[in-house]
Amino acid sequence: MNDSATHTLEAGDVHQKFRTIAGREILFDKQGFLWHPEDWSEEVAVALALESGIEALSNDQWRVIRFLRDYFAYHGRAPLNRDLKSGLNISLMDLESLFPGGIRHGARRIAGLPNPRACTG
Amino acid sequence: MVEIYLQMGVSPGRGSYDMAVEAEEMVTNTRQKLAHFFGAPDPDRVIFTNNATDALNLLLQGMLKPGDHVVSTRLEHNSVLRPLNHLHMKGIIEYDLVPFDANGFVDPCDILRSIRTNTKLVIMCHASNVLGTIQPVQEVGRLCSERGVPLFIDAAQTAGLIPINMKSWFLAGVAFTGHKSMLGPTGIGGLILNQEVEIEPTHFGGTGVDSKSLVHTPSFPHRLEAGTLNLLGIIGISESLAFLLHEGIEAIHRREMDLLHRLHDGFSHFKTINIYGPKNLSDHVGLITVNVEGMSPEDVGSILDADFGIAVREGLHCAPLVHESLGTSPKGGVRFSLGPFTTEEDIDATLAAMATIARTKDCC
Repeated sequence: MNDSATHTLEAGDVHQKFRTIAGREILFDKQGFLWHPEDWSEEVAVALALESGIEALSNDQWRVIRFLRDYFAYHGRAPLNRDLKSGLNISLMDLESLFPGGIRHGARRIAGLPNPRACTG
Repeated sequence: MVEIYLQMGVSPGRGSYDMAVEAEEMVTNTRQKLAHFFGAPDPDRVIFTNNATDALNLLLQGMLKPGDHVVSTRLEHNSVLRPLNHLHMKGIIEYDLVPFDANGFVDPCDILRSIRTNTKLVIMCHASNVLGTIQPVQEVGRLCSERGVPLFIDAAQTAGLIPINMKSWFLAGVAFTGHKSMLGPTGIGGLILNQEVEIEPTHFGGTGVDSKSLVHTPSFPHRLEAGTLNLLGIIGISESLAFLLHEGIEAIHRREMDLLHRLHDGFSHFKTINIYGPKNLSDHVGLITVNVEGMSPEDVGSILDADFGIAVREGLHCAPLVHESLGTSPKGGVRFSLGPFTTEEDIDATLAAMATIARTKDCC
């Protein structure tokens, strides 16, 4: 597994951690979300998926990941719940079941979108 | 609210033109209504703020001095915890947080035991925003009064739902927000103080009176209000107060509790739903926090929103110590909050939605 923490930074109340993923040093937050969405690549997605127990991403999972990436690239933010439902044409319950970590810690994290930490704390 | 604002939406008390005078009258009348509503002795000590957090910051930063000690509880919202921690980290105060029991209640005797000779005040929530448990603030008020220590309550969850009487409950002050059970708009709240409270301003500026002086107006309410007030919010509070008085807040609370029992009973039938708080809902407001086993609270909230049109608050509810004590930190829980317009159909739809969600995780 490509997982080697090199050092930890603290910025305000957020802990950041550099890890080597797919041969690149990438900054993550303390919940395992990419700090910079532009660090994402398909190789990074595969590595993150493997860590969450997905040996090989299915076509359905790739469809979700690509939708999240495209939406984020176009709108500059993650899709709202209703955007996810209408854009993917599946219920969020089915989406939650599709990834071992669920919607936020599974799909969204593997797709490299920022951690929506301000929403629920 | 909007209609009245369109008629007098100006800076209250600034200028002698009719609309400014009418707007000031609206503000003064609302202070009087709020003083009566909360059993407060002096309408001039009804201070308008942006919300409960703003009111609590004003209170704590205006009252506490170096060397002071404060008693509070682990049930508190960050609106109390963070100002206390801030003042502690700056070396100004010390504080103790009293625990709550397995049912979500603080023991008044624990508060009494935590009072020291330098305890400046006791501050606690009237009801937990996570567990919904109504705290014994009348008993705490009596005990604090006997010790000569003022008790302030954070009534964010109870104002507009539970009758509060500052005088008979021995309360030195009440902080409230407008946008919860007061049924007002967001961005308005208040701090109501009794006449004995000595407090310094934390903001300085225009008050519309004593403008020649460079010293901030010392008299209440201007002492603690600087700058133009949120007139739209104050009109909103005035109108919602009229509604609450017409409906009767005890009647609203009874209806909400009937519905909460229905929700609680429904949830208790699902083995994959964990309910937090007491089984006996006799001292409770209309909220309940749960988790679905094997699912993050945030995902449950997203599913309820997108698939069922039900809005809930998930996460830590800005009350980290409650979730720490419950063992639900750091993900928190899913909170369902009822209101005067919630119906039996809403409850049944919620139960049906949660049944559908819970079944996906019920593998046994």
